[in-house]
Amino acid sequence: MTNSDQPANAGTPPSRGKIAERLLPGGEEPDPRFTLANERTFLAWIRTSLALLAGGIAIEAFTSDLFLEPVRKGLAVVLLLLGMLLSAGSAVRWVRVERSMRNKAPLPLPLIVPLLAGAGAVAAAVVLIFILWR
Amino acid sequence: MDSSRSAGSHGDPGLQPERTTLAWGRTVLALVTVSAIFLRWLPRHGLPILLLFAVSAAAALAIYATQRRRYTARSRGLSKERLDADITAVLWTAYAGVALGGLGIAVVLAG
Repeated sequence: MTNSDQPANAGTPPSRGKIAERLLPGGEEPDPRFTLANERTFLAWIRTSLALLAGGIAIEAFTSDLFLEPVRKGLAVVLLLLGMLLSAGSAVRWVRVERSMRNKAPLPLPLIVPLLAGAGAVAAAVVLIFILWR
Repeated sequence: MDSSRSAGSHGDPGLQPERTTLAWGRTVLALVTVSAIFLRWLPRHGLPILLLFAVSAAAALAIYATQRRRYTARSRGLSKERLDADITAVLWTAYAGVALGGLGIAVVLAG
């Protein structure tokens, strides 16, 4: 058995590490299942952002005989930027959800959802304008 | 075989440690795909691309190498009903995504 099971240590929970105590202060440990579910959701967002990065690279690398250079570069930058913002946003979202669960508060609204939807619409609009004007 | 054994040593019928480890495994596959696509930039943009390849490949390798440790820790955490959030893994993975996006934009704008 570990030390934390002894009555002398009952009042002091084991240290969670500096970063955790700064980013996830207060509250109490949520159900481990919730923590793992939050992590899987984070990973699903990360994979979405990686797919956007891959799409951005692919557009820049493979479409030189299809798109004019400004369109090609613009689309690639939009996708790469979106992938970057989603990576950062998914970590922010993970922290906010973890905080809410520690404090038994309602989960925050996902700000990365309108971000993804809006930027996806912009990318589609760029392609549409290109097709109509070409 | 009784049901508590078939649910794994953690005894969670929802198999949360397994599903989470598989989610990390899928992320490894996505990182490997991205690093392979980066290599298609080599002919046009030259050697700096190897930095991008190195970042994504290193992230994939780091996750892959810690999979067993991660599974064991989560499995143990579930049986104790107490599990610390893996903030380090989350932050490093997000950093890798941000770095890849930023470096990619630099390459597109420079080339």
